[in-house]
Amino acid sequence: MADKKSSDPFALWQQMIGEMEKGINAFANQTMASPEFSRVLNRAGGLTAGAQKQFADFMEKYLQAMNLPSRAQMVGIAERLQSIEGQLSEIKATLHKMNSGAQQGAQVGILRPPRTRRPPGEPT
Amino acid sequence: MNAPTGLDPASISERIQSEVQRAIMRSIKGVEYFSTSGPALGSTPKDVLHTRGTMNLYHYRPLANEIYRVPVLIVMATTNRGYILDMVPGMSFIEFLLKRGYDVYMLDWTPPRPEEKGLRMEDYVLDFIPDCVRHVQEDSGEQQVSVIGYCFGGVLSLLYGSIFNNGPMKNLICFTTPIDFREMKLFSNFADRRYFDVDQLVDSVGNMPPEMILSSFEMLRPVSRTVSQIQLWENIWNDEYVKSYRMFDRWATDILPLAGEYFRSITKDLMWDNKLYNGTMTVGGRKADIADIKVPILHAVAEHDHIVPYEAARHLIPRVASTDKEEVMLKGGHVSLVAGPNAVKRLWPKLDSWLSGRSI
Repeated sequence: MADKKSSDPFALWQQMIGEMEKGINAFANQTMASPEFSRVLNRAGGLTAGAQKQFADFMEKYLQAMNLPSRAQMVGIAERLQSIEGQLSEIKATLHKMNSGAQQGAQVGILRPPRTRRPPGEPT
Repeated sequence: MNAPTGLDPASISERIQSEVQRAIMRSIKGVEYFSTSGPALGSTPKDVLHTRGTMNLYHYRPLANEIYRVPVLIVMATTNRGYILDMVPGMSFIEFLLKRGYDVYMLDWTPPRPEEKGLRMEDYVLDFIPDCVRHVQEDSGEQQVSVIGYCFGGVLSLLYGSIFNNGPMKNLICFTTPIDFREMKLFSNFADRRYFDVDQLVDSVGNMPPEMILSSFEMLRPVSRTVSQIQLWENIWNDEYVKSYRMFDRWATDILPLAGEYFRSITKDLMWDNKLYNGTMTVGGRKADIADIKVPILHAVAEHDHIVPYEAARHLIPRVASTDKEEVMLKGGHVSLVAGPNAVKRLWPKLDSWLSGRSI
């Protein structure tokens, strides 16, 4: 079986890919564990975040000049919508509770099985 | 290494024939792959019991005629979607629990909205989890609840269990939960306080973008994604392989953003100051030391976990005050521990045998 596998070029190819993956990952992990890597990574990340913030500020001014709603205003609307959603949720939950209360007599034992299960092999 | 010996021309010819057939199938199935969507995930019947912003509480409809007294609340990691535990029928942890007679609830997350960037650790630990526990109590009519936390869901469950150590949590199960964050060496290095300005980042972006989180996960194994795509191409003729690839790939790339303040706290308190390990963690001014946890606890860790290595996870069981406690190390990685064929035969039966007797 082992001989057959070692002479199969396709199996060898797959084995090679697997070994290559392990090797490159291990090498990359070693490199990424250095403080120097962290410094470079975070410098690049910081620059991107800074650029993003500047761009966002610029967009805010631009939208104002175009007489369009700004992100902050949209967020304000979203917050109000969220609060409405929350209230709807509460109303739904109350209705659900009232409804299940009304149906309790008729449906008990159908919707909720009894909580009497014992582990297998244990005397009941 | 043995040199290839004893090449049999007949078997080589057979193999070439089969490879040619597979190459043809690859072309056909390759077109099919791009023109169809993956399998429907998370389809076990459930009701949405409660939603509030990023928080969603589901109740799964029981599949057994008789269920255990104590309901189970699963707390998902805040970076990932809960459907990893509910893939497809036969491969769903949720379905497994339901069939074994558990009453299952899940606290799952949706992307926090921009206006939720101010959510803090205390919102998750002192508000969302207790709120869900209250809803589970009301819905089930039971006072006690077993909690299962996956990855960072485990950290949140531990913080909750440390603070509310007099109930109502009856049992705690953690999957691959980090305690010593210094041992998550690469994450620790990415977040090195000398170079990583978390304040500037959070102040600039609000919520942590999912792309950034995904990149940091992928950087742990930088070539694995490319290799898995090569393997997909090799196996694209195999429907089962493709189905499994699509399920896991979709989940792995479906990362949630993290609320900005919450991320700031994870970085400063856990990554920088390692407060969970040091026993100095506080949440909303309340002490959260895992040494105060007394309930029965099971911690399942994976032998080849590249995200939460064993060195980061091994301190949980020795630290808690529980007398009924167990750590189990199983073959597999961070994800294959909880989902997929490996989990079906290893973790799930182990969890059932541990939890059943403690759920009556």
